[in-house]
Amino acid sequence: MSESRNVSIRVPVLARVEGEGALDLVIEQGDIKELRLRIFEPPRFFEKFLEGRHYAEVPDFVARICGICPVAYQVTAAQALETLFEIDIGPWARAMRRVFYCGEWIQSHSLHIHLLAAPDFFGCGNAIELAQIAPEEVRRGLRLQALGNELMELFGARSVHPVGVRVGGFHAAPPPERIHAMREKLAAALPEAEALVRWTAGIALPPDAQEFVSVALRHPVDYAIEHGEIAASDGLLIEAAAYPEHFVEHHEPHSTALFSSYQGRPYLVGPLARLNLNRDRLPDDVQALLAETGFALPSGNVFQSMLARAVEILLALREALRLLADYHAPASPWVDATPRAGVAVGGTEAPRGLLWHRYEIDTDGLVRNARIVPPTAQNQARIEADLRLSLLNFGLDHADDALRLHCEKVIRNYDPCISCATHFLRLNVSR
Amino acid sequence: MRVRIIGIGSPSGDDQAGWLVVDALAARADLAQRPDLRIEKLDRPGAALVERLGDADHAILIDAVQSGAAPGTLHRLREGEWAGWRGGLSSHGFGVFDALALAQALQALPPRLDVYGIEIASAEPGTLPGAAVWTAVARLAEVLQRGI
Repeated sequence: MSESRNVSIRVPVLARVEGEGALDLVIEQGDIKELRLRIFEPPRFFEKFLEGRHYAEVPDFVARICGICPVAYQVTAAQALETLFEIDIGPWARAMRRVFYCGEWIQSHSLHIHLLAAPDFFGCGNAIELAQIAPEEVRRGLRLQALGNELMELFGARSVHPVGVRVGGFHAAPPPERIHAMREKLAAALPEAEALVRWTAGIALPPDAQEFVSVALRHPVDYAIEHGEIAASDGLLIEAAAYPEHFVEHHEPHSTALFSSYQGRPYLVGPLARLNLNRDRLPDDVQALLAETGFALPSGNVFQSMLARAVEILLALREALRLLADYHAPASPWVDATPRAGVAVGGTEAPRGLLWHRYEIDTDGLVRNARIVPPTAQNQARIEADLRLSLLNFGLDHADDALRLHCEKVIRNYDPCISCATHFLRLNVSR
Repeated sequence: MRVRIIGIGSPSGDDQAGWLVVDALAARADLAQRPDLRIEKLDRPGAALVERLGDADHAILIDAVQSGAAPGTLHRLREGEWAGWRGGLSSHGFGVFDALALAQALQALPPRLDVYGIEIASAEPGTLPGAAVWTAVARLAEVLQRGI
């Protein structure tokens, strides 16, 4: 194949995906002339919807932003408001928020590994083809996903757009007998999660070593999920309120989503960024398992995000089990809130990475202004940078189908919301 | 024999068809009390449908479909026809028939599976189902009630 060929890969607006995205790639004279990932994220509309709404409505509103990670939005919003209102929700609600969040990590990560990412690495077009060559592994993944959903249902009444969280705690506490049954299932799933880590560690990945800044929450004791300060791999450690001083969002003409940058450069959020920053917060035996599998951290190979998700499934199962060990239903699952005017800010680790919220609340407890920075928007610039480097590493003289598949693999590493479609790049080539 | 009846839909207009059928069945005291029978409503279960079917000996799925037939038309969707329905109306790229194809690949389909589709006209948020869909819902609920 001639190196001087011209290739134009344009992916039109995508149907049947949560969020809309597109990719434009133009190769001329053996070089990338144009590479643009365009993501259209819904949270911008929600920010406007929230204006004038009562603070108590916010958790249920923001849960609607994403069908896969509603807990992240709910918990981030509730915690931000509780901080402003100076409410101590108490140890029970704090622990159960983390358990609830663990359910979402288990569910979302299992979905991503088995239905979206893994088929790429086995030469399969989708999970149905993968199921034919790795049925036990896919079935295990579906069991783990179902368990994550069940854990979300336990606290949220349903797994899609749950309704359990309120400002001040939870609307209801699950009865101990249901928690007991859940603990048995979580314990039974531990060996499955360990096997999943070993399986994903054994999948051959393209070699890649890129330099980038990882950004994630970091907590003094825990592996950061629902709490911690914002950390970066260059040593930054700030409170959530200082986020806008260090991270800048800007418009690009080709996208309706905002691009994020840190010190003028793209950065990575998500499971690999979390592990790069917080590997010392993993339990010792999980760290030993990583060493056994040869997963060296920090990693600059974003293809290892799939393995990072498997590790976080194992961690989330263990955390849920630990926190449910001495479960008792509290006298009240929530404390009353009294609104106060001011700015509510908070951040948590959604399955796809750092999620940051800011609300201006007036004296009546109404939202005057809202700002939500989702992980996919933060990763957008990093995905473009990764695509450029990965394609050059891969070689631009590959056939169009191979280039398209490589682009898909790279993008799916980040588990963007648009990856709800298992095979979302349609190739149009013009020469 | 464990029987599971699953209605799939959303609160939007005609798309409630599957939910309305299972509501009608769940409202019958004789069925509601049967320990071997589980009736549930799902909203875009995606691949999670595979595990939901899990241990059933006989599963019945009811969903809204659009094939161009007259609204209210009842479809019995047999296994050989599933491929034609894949990638259809799901907003998440992994619809009911994708989930069934996945279950098929995993050899995880229940021993007996009946899939019914109710032809719908529109699924506008905030609207009620049309008369043709109501008629079809009543008819299918009656058929199912006699069959189980």
